Formats: sequence, structure tokens, C-alpha cells
Amino acid sequence: MTVNAMLPLAVLASSLLPGLIIFALREDRIRLRTALNLFGAVAKLVLVGMLLAGVYAGQEYTFRHTVVPGVELVFKADALALLFVTLSSVLWFFTTLYAIGYLEGSPHRSRFFGFFSLCVTATVGIAMAGNLYTFFVFYELLTLATFPLVVHRGTPQAMKGGTVYLAYTLGGGALLLAGIVWLHGLAGAAEFTHGGYLSALGPEQASELKWAFLLLIAGVGVKAALVPLHGWLPQAMVAPAPVSALLHAVAVVKAGAFGVVRIVYEVYGVEFAQSLDLLAPLAVAAAITILWGSLRALTQDDLKKRLAYSTVSQVSYITLGVALFGPVGTIGGLVHLVHQGIMKITLFFCAGNYAETLGVHKVSEMDGAGRRMPVTTLAFSVAAFGMMGAPPLAGYVSKWYLGEGALEAGMPWAQAVLMASSLLNAAYFLPILYRAWFRPAPANWPEEHIPAAGRRETAWLLLLPPVVTALAVAAAGLFANADFSPLYWARLIARREYLEWTP
Amino acid sequence: MDTLIVLTLLLPLLLAVLHGPWAGRALSGWFAPLAPLPALALALIAPAGAALDLPWLLLGSRYALDETGRLFLGFTAGIWLLAGLYARGYLAGDPRRHGFGFFFLATQAGNLGLILAADAISFYSMFALMSFAAYGLVIHTGSAEALRAGRVYLVMALGGEMLLLTALWRLAHAASSLLLTDMARAASLDPASCALLAAGFGVKAGLPLLHMWLPLAHPVAPTPASAVLSGAMIKAGVLGWLRFLPLGAAPLPELGWTLTSLGLGAAFLGVLIGLVQRDAKTVLAYSSISQMGFITVAVGAGLGNPGAWPALAPAVAVYAAHHGLAKGALFLGVGLPAGRLKLAGMALAALALAGAPLTSGALAKAALKAPLPEALGLALAVAAIGTTLLMARLLWLIRIRGPAGKADARMALAWAGALAAVAAAPVWLPMSFPALPAPSLWSALWPVLSGLVLAGIAFPARMAGRAVSLPPGDILVWLEPATTRGWRGLLGTMARMDARPGQAGATGGNGRDTGA
Repeated sequence: MTVNAMLPLAVLASSLLPGLIIFALREDRIRLRTALNLFGAVAKLVLVGMLLAGVYAGQEYTFRHTVVPGVELVFKADALALLFVTLSSVLWFFTTLYAIGYLEGSPHRSRFFGFFSLCVTATVGIAMAGNLYTFFVFYELLTLATFPLVVHRGTPQAMKGGTVYLAYTLGGGALLLAGIVWLHGLAGAAEFTHGGYLSALGPEQASELKWAFLLLIAGVGVKAALVPLHGWLPQAMVAPAPVSALLHAVAVVKAGAFGVVRIVYEVYGVEFAQSLDLLAPLAVAAAITILWGSLRALTQDDLKKRLAYSTVSQVSYITLGVALFGPVGTIGGLVHLVHQGIMKITLFFCAGNYAETLGVHKVSEMDGAGRRMPVTTLAFSVAAFGMMGAPPLAGYVSKWYLGEGALEAGMPWAQAVLMASSLLNAAYFLPILYRAWFRPAPANWPEEHIPAAGRRETAWLLLLPPVVTALAVAAAGLFANADFSPLYWARLIARREYLEWTP
Repeated sequence: MDTLIVLTLLLPLLLAVLHGPWAGRALSGWFAPLAPLPALALALIAPAGAALDLPWLLLGSRYALDETGRLFLGFTAGIWLLAGLYARGYLAGDPRRHGFGFFFLATQAGNLGLILAADAISFYSMFALMSFAAYGLVIHTGSAEALRAGRVYLVMALGGEMLLLTALWRLAHAASSLLLTDMARAASLDPASCALLAAGFGVKAGLPLLHMWLPLAHPVAPTPASAVLSGAMIKAGVLGWLRFLPLGAAPLPELGWTLTSLGLGAAFLGVLIGLVQRDAKTVLAYSSISQMGFITVAVGAGLGNPGAWPALAPAVAVYAAHHGLAKGALFLGVGLPAGRLKLAGMALAALALAGAPLTSGALAKAALKAPLPEALGLALAVAAIGTTLLMARLLWLIRIRGPAGKADARMALAWAGALAAVAAAPVWLPMSFPALPAPSLWSALWPVLSGLVLAGIAFPARMAGRAVSLPPGDILVWLEPATTRGWRGLLGTMARMDARPGQAGATGGNGRDTGA
């Protein structure tokens, strides 16, 4: 086996092996567990760095293994996969740091970090999956690895949220499987290809292809929280903060959105999907989700729940970008895959900090939080303004490309959706910022766990990750046009997905 | 020159950051008034065509200084400089002065930066920074009035930005470029975008029906902030028009006609509503709406008739500079203790604003009227009678009232500086624009004289009777309840979704937001 085939496997192993070892560790082996976690996270970063350099230089990294004849396990680290892999590995590193700080002294940490590592392994597997079969395997693994994390606290509310989560995602998995089998029957076994592999089929199969598309999109749409398949997401916010952060930014919803990207671009091919009239309905579904999520976020007093509905809305920006036919819309969708990740993870880290430090869980309890925790609140503000699409933060890049892509695709109505969503974003984020910065702090916080010590507003391990990701939000917008920015990478991918595009 | 451009962009931002809740902000407060100095230096000494390309920044940034930009940068930096000095005295005892300093400097960074921006994303970023940061200035006092003004301001500013964004998307797509010059060229083929731009920037410029935030927000801010809001920031809307609209290129008669009508409406209605206001700063805010109406008339005329634009363009810039300085001086003066000296200084600035002979106002009005059709010129002259009346009303209001005590030296110095700039404007403005027509004594004199006579007759009569009153924000009285009801209705509907059975644990919503 060549080095180029080994590298994708090594990336998977860098979180899988530490995870499996951690399961076996006694609860009190804190140092060893932490060392394993960090070793895995750092090793993954190094390996991903090697992949990035290679793919940039035009190398191919493919691993194939025939399970039974006709069913192959394929991993391929192409530019699109690496967009997601890099996001996952970088954010996993910071979430691990955060989780170590967050869970200090709480029970069942070996179980937690074991599943945590499995969860990232599954995400990276989804990103690098080279065909639908491989994609499905890791998609289901993700469901199973995240369930114990969602119910980690074991409270009745957590169990209820977890059950709802499982019901939705397993149902989605079944739909996805049905779609995959159907396509297998039509086109045989095939790997993801730039420009898709179904366009070779004749027009007599068009209607079957449309129904299969519906099944596939419904399958991944559950994780991508497309309305009306989004019901699990606000319930799953009962999970501990690091889990919510990873779930909303990287693992679960992103896996769904990434599935949409793969299916449209590399199974059907975006030009073929357009010729089957599949993109317009997808755009409408995304638009409804964007608006509905934002509207529901308005009245949520629970901070994490408000953020959860915001995720419902924001993740569909990615789907919208995919559905806007033309490279500009594609760039907007792909770059939002990264931008939404870094913005949302910042928001959840900060929400966790408020809860863990002051016992603040509700928006209505946030008066004066900015005075007590200025750094956290600054990070939160940066991410919130980014979400609104205020320049020069990351969100404006996505919004700019999506808006121009809407014109290119001949769907100017999508601009109205983006604008309405921006205004709604402002309507549910600005009141939070107003309370935190301008209202006086209460005499007593609901439950102050971590007292302020000098200039330190909370534990270092809780403070560092949101600061770094907030800086990334600013940098992704400020230096969008620089080489190796998320935008740069998204442009690279878009160039490869449009085979016959002429503007 | 590159260093100076970078300093202009970064120094206010840097000082703003230093005003954050960390060590060193007491010291940075001392330096804060100096933040606009690089901008001022740039406006004075930069060679024509100075530009800085930063391809890695945003989506590819370009900052450049053209002749319009030079004048805007000069007077904007001047007002910020004086207001910054004034603020050191005005807020000396205010426990929240650091917060004010942060928002003041951030707003300033946006305001100065957008003048230099030569690409759409930089312009939009700076514009947004200015808009958002100014919210902190508006609500600084924390009073119920200030919070309401802030809310109205923010809602309208956000709405305006959405209009702008739509236009920018369309123009960037049509031009396949983000450079303002290319986009303005594309705008000549896209009247819809031009209408969006006119409205979007119109919110900042106080265009009638988009002006409601202005008489609430400008007066309620601390006085130095009022001065920059009404003197400098309001001009950002005008600059936006100059930058993006296809002025002097393709005729857009419908939009031009609409803008001219709105401008005339603003010029007169601003005076009428201003006359019944009881607060000096609110009077000044309505005067700003009225004066911006003059500029809007000229921009509208230029849109309809590209042939007239070469003569109108310098007139608009000069008018903006003149109004900025005069209005800045008037606002700064309001915050000083009453006295003869104050009244005399205010009278000087008021006469300049009304366009009395030998003032910057006479110069600006003459330049503006020369290229306009005669009827429009006459209408503006009649509006200037109104300006005189309004200024008489202002002097009447401040003749006794005013903060007690001795004047702070920094405040007095800043005010004197502003007055000096206004008084000297008839000398230095023609130096930068030699082609300006010389104002005739009579055409400048008769509107002011008529206004004074009218004030002499009308005021005593009105004082005798019961004065009419219209609250600041005028049509907001009818709009606000309906809007609030609609919004609460939406929130109520959404809150009921949460209370559905099976979704326990999510009842109600944010108490304040739902108004439940």
C-alpha cells in the first residue's frame, strides 16, 4: 500500500485509536487521558497539514478496499473533503481543550472522551468518503457516536432529547439507505466524481432519479436540519456545551450539509441536477428553513436554544448556495461551511462560559455579563455580528457570494431571503449584546461557580478556545482574499465542479 | 503617502481598542482627540491620486483620495478633531466616558475610512462600522428617550443597509468589479439599483420619510456626538450618492425628479417642523434635515440633467463642507454656558447657515443655485428665509437657557476653533475650488433680511398665542405604534409555537421582547 493511500487512513486512526484506548481507561487516569486526547488532536492536525500541502500540489490520496464484490470502502482526500476535514480537525482540537476545562471534576469522562473521539472519526470519514456506501457507513456511525454525548448528563430531559434525536437521525439514515440502493440499481457502484456520474443515464430514468434525489436529500436533510426535519436540533441542546459546540458547528449538521454538497455536485453533478430541475425546489426548501429558523430563534429565552434555531437557519445557507446554480453561489455555500462552523462554535463556547462561570442560561439573565466577562462577551459579539453578515467579519463573505450567486442563478428572490434573515439575525442577536454590554449587572449571578480572579474572568481552558475561534472569524473576513483563506479554498473547489460553465 | 493612509484608517481604531475594559485607557483618553490628525494631514498634503491597494484585504481593497474625497476628508476630520477635544471637557466627570470614547473613535474610524474607500466592500465595511458604533453614542445617557432614539435609529439604519446591500450586489454583478468607479458606470444602466442607493443612503442623509430617526437621535446624544452626527456623519449619505450614482453620465429623469421633490420637501418641512420644537438641539436636527434638502435638490437635478453636473459637483461638496462646519459649531455652542459671547458666536454660525453675505453660506448657496433652473433657485432662496427664521428660533431658545457654571477651557477652545473655521471658510473654500461663482450681495441679503423681518413680526405674535407642537420624529407618532404592534404580533405568534403541547420547557419568551 502506498503512502498516498495510507494518509487518509492515518487521519482516521489519529482519533479512532486514542478514542478506543480512552474507553478502557479508569476514570481517575486524568493525565493519560488528556495526553491521549491532545496527542490525537495534534497528530490529526499534522496529518491534515500534509494532506493540504499535497492536494494543493495536485497529489491524489485514495484508499480502496473491496468489502464484498460490488461494495467498496473508498476514502478520497480531495479539495472538497479537505475543506471539511480541516474545519473538523482544527475545531476538534479547540473543542478538546474546551471540554477538558469544561468537564473538570465531572463523572464519566472516559466515556465522554471516547465517544467524542469516535464522533470526530465519523465526521472525518464522512468528509473523505469516496462513494455513497462509505458515506452511509460513517453517517450512521456518527449517529451512534453522538447519541451518548447528547444524553451524557443522564437527566430525564437529556434522555428525552436524545430519544428524539435518535428517532429523527435513524429515520433519516433509513431514507438515505433507500436512496443509495435505488441509485445503485440504476447506475451500479460508482465513486464520487467531479461533475457527477449520473448524467450518462438516459432521459427515461429522469423521474426515478428525481425520486431518488428526494430520498437522498431527505436522508441528509435530517442532520442538516432542513425544515420540517429539524425538530431534533433544538431538543438536542440539552447536551453539554462542548458537545453542542461540536454538534452545531462541525459534526452533525455539517455532515448533513456536506452530504447535500456531495450528492448535488459529485453524484448528480450540478449541471445535470439543474437540467432535472432539482435545484429550484432545493433552494426553496433552504429558503423556508432559513426564515423559519430565524423566526423561531426570536422568542427563545434559553440562550442555547436560541443558538440552536439560529443553526437551523444558518446551515441552510450552505444548502442554498449549493442550489444556486453557478460558481458564485457554490463558493458562497462552500465557504459558509467553514464560516458557519467557526462562528457558531464561538457562540456555543461563550454560552458554555456564561453557564459554567455564572450559571447564566437565559438571555434574560445576561444583563451586565459584558462587564463581568468582557473577553467572552467580546468573542460572542464578534461571532454574532459575523452571523448577521456585518463586514468585515466572516459572515459577510458568505452573504456577499450567496447574494451575487442568486443573481447569477436567476433567483433574485433569494436575495430577499438573505436580507430578511440578516435582519432577523440582528433582531435576535442584538438584544443579547445590548443586555450584556449596556445593562447594569445584577447584584448576584444565578450561580457563580468560578469567581473572578484579577484579570481572569473564568478558567483559562474555557477562555482560550472562544478567543481563538473569534479571531478566526475576524481573520476569515478581513483576509478573505488572501491565499489559503477559506474563500480561496472554496474558489478552488468551485472551479473543479463546473465542467461546462460559461458565465 | 501609504503610511498616512494606513494611519488614517488605523489610528482611530487602535485608540478605540485601547478604550476597552483593560489597562491603559486613562492614557489613551489623552490621545483620543488626536485620532483624526492623520486624516487631516492627508487631506492637506496628499498629492492628487494618492492610492493604496491591498489585494489581500477583504475581497481586494483599494483606498484612494480624489478631489471630492479630499474636501470631505478635510472637513470631516476637522469636525471630529474639534468634537474630540470638546468631548474631553464635556465628559470629564462622566463615569462612562471610556465607553463613550470607544464608540466615538469607532464611529470616527468608519466615517473617515469610508471617504477613502474606493471599493464596494471597504466602503460597506466602513459604513457599517460607523452605523453600528454610532448606536453607542446615541444611547450613551441611558435615558428612556435615548434608548427609544437608539432603537429607532438602529432599525432604520439596518433597513437602509439592506437596501444598499441589494444595490451593491446588483452593481457588482453587472460590473464584474468591486471598484466604485466601475460600479457607478454599471449603475447608469440600472435605474432600480440607483433608486435603492438613493433610499439606502437617504436614511443617513435624512431624506424625508426616511428621516424620523434623525430628530430623535441627533439631539439625545451627548453634545460632541450630536456635532459629529449632524456635521460629519450625515454627509456620509451624500458621499454615498456621489460615489455610486451615475451622476454626470446617464440621465435618470424619474429618480432625479423624485429626489429634487423630496429635497424641496425637506428644505421647507424641516423648517416648519423645526420651528415648533422646544429643544435647541432638536431645532438644529430639523435644520440639518432642511439643509440636506438643499443638497438633495442639487443631486436630483444632476441626476436628471447630466450636463449640469460638472458645475453642481463642486457646489455639492462645498455645501456639505460649509454645512458640516457651521452645524458642528452650532451644536458645540449649545453645550456652553449662556452668555453674550456665546450668543454672538452662535449668531455668527447661524448667519453663515442662513447664507448671509460674506459667509460660507452665501458662497455655497450661490454655487448651488448657479447651475440650477431659475425656479429651483428661487425656491431655495425662499427656503433660506425659513432657515433664517429657524436660526432666530434657535437663538431665542438658547438666549437664557444653557448649562450653568463656567465654560470648560477645552470645550470653549473647540467651539472657537469651529467658529474660526466657519468664519474663514469664505477664504479657504474658493482656494480649493477656484471655479466657484462669486456670490452677489443682494441675492444673499434678501432672504436673510426677509427672514429677520418675519421673525420680528411672527415671534412676538406667536408667543402670545398657544404654540403648536409636534413631537420630534413627527410622522413617527403614527408609524411607531403600528410597527410595534406588528412586531409584537409576530413575536406573540412565535411564542405560541413554543408553548405547543409536547414542547414543554420552552414557554413564553423573552419577557421584554414579547411585551407579554
